[in-house]
Amino acid sequence: MSTSSQTDGAAEAQVAAALARCAGGDRNALRVIYDLEAGRMTGVARRLLRRQDLAEEAVQDTFMRVWRAARTFDPQKGSARTWLYAILRNSALSILRDEGRFTSDEDKQESAPMTESALALLPETSALRRCLERLDAERRAVVVLAYVHGLSHGELAGKLGVPLGTVKSWVRRSLLSLQECMG
Amino acid sequence: MSAPLTDRDDDSALAGEYELGLLEGEAKAQAERRLATDAAFVREVERWRTRFAAFDDATPPLAAPEALWRKIEGGIAGQPAAVASAPSLWSRIWGDLAVMRGAAVGASLAVLVLAIGLGAAIRAANKQPVMVAVLLDGDRAGAVVQAFADGRTVLLPLTSISVPEGKVLEVWTLPSRERGPVSVGLMERARTLTLSLKDLPAPRADQLFEITLEPAGGSPIGRPTGPVLFKGNTALAL
Repeated sequence: MSTSSQTDGAAEAQVAAALARCAGGDRNALRVIYDLEAGRMTGVARRLLRRQDLAEEAVQDTFMRVWRAARTFDPQKGSARTWLYAILRNSALSILRDEGRFTSDEDKQESAPMTESALALLPETSALRRCLERLDAERRAVVVLAYVHGLSHGELAGKLGVPLGTVKSWVRRSLLSLQECMG
Repeated sequence: MSAPLTDRDDDSALAGEYELGLLEGEAKAQAERRLATDAAFVREVERWRTRFAAFDDATPPLAAPEALWRKIEGGIAGQPAAVASAPSLWSRIWGDLAVMRGAAVGASLAVLVLAIGLGAAIRAANKQPVMVAVLLDGDRAGAVVQAFADGRTVLLPLTSISVPEGKVLEVWTLPSRERGPVSVGLMERARTLTLSLKDLPAPRADQLFEITLEPAGGSPIGRPTGPVLFKGNTALAL
C-alpha cells in the first residue's frame, strides 16, 4: 500500500494494531478493521466480481480468514493493509474462477476503453500509472485487465483476439518492464 | 526488451503472474509451495502487491452493510482466533512465517526476528508481554509463549500439530534446574492455551518451554516421557 500520505500511514497503523488485538482474540478489533476497510474492500471485490452478492461473499470470507490467521501476520514482513487486500484478492479470485464465466456487460466491452477507465482511477502522480502508460496499448491492457478485473489468460486472449501464447508472452514482458520502471 | 531473461527476472515475472491471478493448476500449486519455503519469492510477491496496490487504493468504496458484519460476527462466534483454517490459504499465509525455513536462517535468528515482530505487534495492541518464547522444531516455529505483566502466560500455536489417537500435547517449563520440568498445560490439539504457572515464579529470561507428546491424560510420572515436538527459551519482549 502506498503510505505516502499521513492518512494512509494512520490507516496502516490502525489496521496493524487491530490485527494484533485480533491475534489475542479480541472480536472488537475485527470490527475496527471492518469499519476502516470493509467499504473499500467491497468496492475492490465488486470490481473483480461484478456482482454485489459475490462481492459481499468475498468480503465475508476475507474477514473470517483474517480472524483465523491474524496471528500469522508479521509486521516485519510487510504492511497490514497489503496483507488484508492480498487475502481479499485471493478470496475474490477463487470465487471468480469457481463461478466460471458469468456474462455481464463488461464482458462485451472492448479492451481499450476498459483499460483506459481503469487507468483513469489512478492519480496522475502514481508511479504505477506513469509506468503503465509507457507500455504499448495491448501490453498495458493485459496487465491492467488481469489485475483490475481478474481476467484469466484465456479471457484476455478472447478479449484481445490473440493466441494464448501471445498473451502469456505479453504479460511477462509487461511485468518485467513495470518492474524496471517502478523499481 | 530483447535482453535475455535472467533467473531473477523469471522469478519476478512469475511472482507478478501469481499476484495477477494468472497462474493455474500445477504452476499455481508450485508457486504456493514456494511461498511457504522461499523467502526471496515471498519478497517478490510482496513487491508486486505493493506495486499494484495503487489500483485498490484508488477503487471507490461501496457501502458495507451492517448485515454483512452480522454474518461475519456469526461466523466467528465460538471460534477462537486462529485455531484452524482452510489448508490452502493457511499454507499461503503460513508462508509469511515459514520463510525462515526456506531462508535457512539459523534458529536463534528466527527466534529473535519473531520475538521482535510479536513484541511490536503486541505493544501496538497496548498489551505488555514481558517475555516471549518461540517454540521451534529445528528452525520450524510451532508455537509462541507470551508471559504478560499481569501473570497470564498464554501459548499460541503457529502451526497445526498432528496428534495421534490416544495422545495429547503437554506443555512444560523448566523454572529451575533443581526443580526440573513442570507441567503447565495439556491439550488434545494445538490451540490457544492459558498456561497454569500460578504456583511458579514469573518466567525469567532464558526459561525453557517445550511441548511433548504424551499419553491421554498427560504424562503419568509428572515428567516428560514422550518426544519433544517444539521447544524454546524466553526472551525479553522488545
